[in-house]
Amino acid sequence: MTFETQVKLAVYRAFAEDGKAPSAASIASALSVREDEVFAAWSKLRAERVLFLEPDGRTIRMAPPFSGVATQHRVRVGSVEYFANCGWDALGIPAALRREGTVLSRCEQSGEPLVLPVGESGPAPSTWVFHSLVRASKWWDDLVFT
Amino acid sequence: MLFFRSEELVKAWCADRGATPGPSVRMDQLWVLAKTWYATRLAPEARRPSPAEMRGIFAGIGLTGPFWDPEARA
Repeated sequence: MTFETQVKLAVYRAFAEDGKAPSAASIASALSVREDEVFAAWSKLRAERVLFLEPDGRTIRMAPPFSGVATQHRVRVGSVEYFANCGWDALGIPAALRREGTVLSRCEQSGEPLVLPVGESGPAPSTWVFHSLVRASKWWDDLVFT
Repeated sequence: MLFFRSEELVKAWCADRGATPGPSVRMDQLWVLAKTWYATRLAPEARRPSPAEMRGIFAGIGLTGPFWDPEARA
């Protein structure tokens, strides 16, 4: 397994455990390496579109489907509450964890709350829809806006 | 990438912003995308789908055309 893969797994496992973005120091400690080695791996993972970093290059903003910052898309799985980057990622969190959960979000126009149970075979029947303003070829041009 | 109660509310939201609505996606379609992208995300072998794979995944649930083409020119 490459070092970048080890770092990626450590980041994702940390997110899965408590829903929070891990620091470089915690990843360095977990893997017994230096922080600068972690930052170098994060940079490569960003280029591979596995991680999305804050402008400082040293803070994880997104490890899709997980968000390192609060959003309107929350997902409750067991006793942990996660933030998702978007509606797609909100369903992606139970899929990634392979566990049942509940998506808590809202209609962006009316503000009506969305409470959507998601089982291992998918979401409960729902007439709600998901909408992207940005076409697929542009998603990573401005990922925060997307 | 947002949730809406109905397509009518998508149109209203876009109209308020002077934007052209994109295609809406049903929740069962979105689940296929979520599973395909993320079901192996915590595994060592996980990787993003290639552009060709993405086109196939989208087409498989009826999402076709330039909007869903990851290599389409604007």
